Amino acid sequence: MTSETRGSLGRTLLILGRLILAGIFLFAAYAKLKPQASMGWSGASIKTSLSMFAMQVDSYQLLPPQLVSPAAHFLPLFELFLGLWMLSGVLLRYSALTTTLLLGAFFAMMVRTYRMGLEINCGCFGPGERLGVGTLLRDGSSLAFAIAVTIGAFVLHRRARKDASVPVSGTTIPAAQHAE
Amino acid sequence: MVGLYVNAEEAELSSPKFPGFASARILRPSLLMLVFGVAILCSPIAFSQTTPAATAASSGAKPKTAKAHAASSSDPAVSAVPSKSFGNKTAPITMEVFSDYQCPSCRAFFEQTLRPLLGPDGYVAAGKVYLVHRDFPLPMHPYSYQAARWANAAAKIGRFQDVDAALFDNQNSWAADGDIEKFVAGAMSPADFKRVQRLMAGCEAPATAGVKPASARLNSGGQAGQGCALDAYISSDQELGKSVPVQATPTFVIFYKGQKYPASSGMVTYPILKQFFDSLLSQ
Repeated sequence: MTSETRGSLGRTLLILGRLILAGIFLFAAYAKLKPQASMGWSGASIKTSLSMFAMQVDSYQLLPPQLVSPAAHFLPLFELFLGLWMLSGVLLRYSALTTTLLLGAFFAMMVRTYRMGLEINCGCFGPGERLGVGTLLRDGSSLAFAIAVTIGAFVLHRRARKDASVPVSGTTIPAAQHAE
Repeated sequence: MVGLYVNAEEAELSSPKFPGFASARILRPSLLMLVFGVAILCSPIAFSQTTPAATAASSGAKPKTAKAHAASSSDPAVSAVPSKSFGNKTAPITMEVFSDYQCPSCRAFFEQTLRPLLGPDGYVAAGKVYLVHRDFPLPMHPYSYQAARWANAAAKIGRFQDVDAALFDNQNSWAADGDIEKFVAGAMSPADFKRVQRLMAGCEAPATAGVKPASARLNSGGQAGQGCALDAYISSDQELGKSVPVQATPTFVIFYKGQKYPASSGMVTYPILKQFFDSLLSQ
């Protein structure tokens, strides 16, 4: 396999990876914001959904009551933003890194809760899903995947910069000189 | 298909002489994806989660077995069906709590959340919430089934609230030795306790914690204790719980304007629960 083919494959995999991560985050945000019961989309229905998500955040017994509601209102919107950021591909290495950090925080919180023996809803993709081995495996896999995408994004960015520093004539200009 | 770059920087790097052209090439697919993402998020999908079992639960319907046991009662002061609910049945919000008397999270939920809800300044007293207790004793707790029997017996003579509180308040004590009776006795007058004892006839607990309790047999598909009329009420609650489905205790289901909201499990503090009620009531 030539280095060009390898690079092309890497780019394709990275596009696929970022689209999958974007999909996960957009779906997570949607599941938390979508109207519950038979309500239609409205400001009131989103408020109710966020209040319901606040109950799930509260059941983790991690945050003081005064911080539960702000966190529950911020998280789904941040997930929506991250999903759209990943989808756009703008500054991918930073969006991937942010995604990895967020997934890492979620995973650590879930492991802690599981080890404490609390039997609660995960709250990962909306209400009604119990936190257990299955959800831990799924979130752990997502975290590993996000780490892989982040590493890929940094590697490809470095490679693209390196390639850009090579002129058509084949004379290499040092990167520092090129930047000037 | 137009060029799809891994990121905008890479696009710029690949075409250093024409940065504007590269921006247009990266912006087009990105904008398309953004529009697609927003369209997915804004799709008006509504899910109705009302099930026949839930409707039956909210209306307080009982299976035929429970009614048959109730009809066989000879004490006129004993109600046909144990009343394990609080507040006005016509309240806009109905909350059903599936609970296990020996589960520590259930005790915390009772002490920190349900107690303020039931208090003089709570939403039950204000007529906003109708609270229904459902028994869901777990097989891992040797005395929880027996505690549920005592609570149901007390409910039949209208003393559920006192016994419910006494069982949760003293959970650590009776969970250690299985002596539930003394706490039930302490929660009511001697005359009432005698009536409860009569209802508990045939509902003797296993002598030691090591004996497999009736709840374990019931949960593994067998029959609950033979001859205990109160078991029918517990098993009807368990059947309702399985239809939710209850996977852990405490689990609560909230109904508002006939609509069932997804079940929540675990400890939720009163301010956060109240905030959810407020969001429902403000609709």
